[in-house]
Amino acid sequence: MIITIISMALVVGGLVFFLGASTGLIRFPDFYTRMHAAGKGDTLSSLLVLLGFAVYQLKDFQSFSENWLVLLVIVKLLGISAFILLTSPTSTHALMDAGWEDEVEPEIQKGRENHLNDDYPKF
Amino acid sequence: MLTKVFATIAVVITGGLLLYGVSDFPAFGDPHSPANAGVGNEESISQYFITQTYKDTKVPNIVTAVLADYRGYDTMFETVVIFAAGIAIFAILRVTGNEAEKKSIKPPLDSSINGDHQRIIVGTTCRIVIPVVQMFALYVVAHGHHSPGGGFQGGVILGASFILVAMSEDLNAALRRFSEKTYLTLACVGILIYAGFGLMCQFLERNFLDYGILQKVLFTDGPEMARSHSMLGVEVGVAFTVTAIMFAIYANLSSRGVLKNGL
Amino acid sequence: MIFAFDIIILIFLVVAAIISLSVKDLLSSAMIFGIYGFLICLLWAEMGAVDVAFTEAAVGAGVSAVFFIATIYNTRRRSSD
Repeated sequence: MIITIISMALVVGGLVFFLGASTGLIRFPDFYTRMHAAGKGDTLSSLLVLLGFAVYQLKDFQSFSENWLVLLVIVKLLGISAFILLTSPTSTHALMDAGWEDEVEPEIQKGRENHLNDDYPKF
Repeated sequence: MLTKVFATIAVVITGGLLLYGVSDFPAFGDPHSPANAGVGNEESISQYFITQTYKDTKVPNIVTAVLADYRGYDTMFETVVIFAAGIAIFAILRVTGNEAEKKSIKPPLDSSINGDHQRIIVGTTCRIVIPVVQMFALYVVAHGHHSPGGGFQGGVILGASFILVAMSEDLNAALRRFSEKTYLTLACVGILIYAGFGLMCQFLERNFLDYGILQKVLFTDGPEMARSHSMLGVEVGVAFTVTAIMFAIYANLSSRGVLKNGL
Repeated sequence: MIFAFDIIILIFLVVAAIISLSVKDLLSSAMIFGIYGFLICLLWAEMGAVDVAFTEAAVGAGVSAVFFIATIYNTRRRSSD
């Protein structure tokens, strides 16, 4: 029972972050903030949902000798989580960097354009 | 504009006819349809595969058994089709000599701060991820007759890992690891492995790709295990060809056939 | 086979196919074609054809999108019609 509650909390938390990510994708003004919302929200929510699934698998677990296949499934889910944790931020970074090299203009507050150009020089 | 109208009419008529044909189909998963229950007292082919595959071949994954054993001839020529696609791309796009000088893409300006950031982060992640992807691809190939997967899927994933090398560094780095000579050889070797298994059966006085007789060569307990091991060998051949052709297509497409300074 | 999933996936599938055909920017078209491949993969996995879904995820959603983008990189990005 407690395992079901924990896993449901994790999955629902993941879905909340998914909602935030998609809202940000629609509502934010320019390319960079949209990528920020999508990348951050997507990584965390996928991780939470997968961890929720992994916890839910423990429901059938009684003893190691009988239920080791359950542990195998959990290891696989954790492997997928590690893979997502590595690749998703990297792909977000690569997309952002491609946008910056392609000179996609960020939306900047009036009077702060020079500030940005000093910190991140274009080539 | 007129062509679009005609195209729409053609699509609507064809789609309507297809939908009309679908209405005669049995329901999805219907146990009493002729394909599942057989006609009259005769056993249907899907019943045969479900009940007899494990007894015949000792392979739990029926899909792989059907693809690589019962319909092995079909799969062999699917592999040949992929090989032919790779050769066609090679024949159309590959250029050498003076023409290559004209068509080659100039290397992008590098050694800027942004470029270095890109190279460090993406390069490090790819260095961690690519071995894992390749291990997974080998697992998919080698475990194809016990779980979903097989030569095609594993080959595509293995080819994609080399494409990832080409995308994270550049095409030259990928070609240093997997040169043109290597991948063309590997593509031919894959087909030859598959055809070799078939021919070996013929030398032992059976039909082409009738693996059961290979127990004399593979020293297995019986024809069932011989069929299982032959399926593995055949999948490895398919994986060789598919890996090589996937990378060949990417290398030729991304560098306009020059194989230098590509995407 | 869960009927509600099927209907949702099929609706998205048709929408993705129509958008992928009607978009003028070929890069967007290639990306949406990748989404179409993933939806077909989901549909097959949900109907129980795991091997086919695996192939579709590797070929249709992964490698073919890369091939399209590599081709678009070396040709024009805008569609003529």
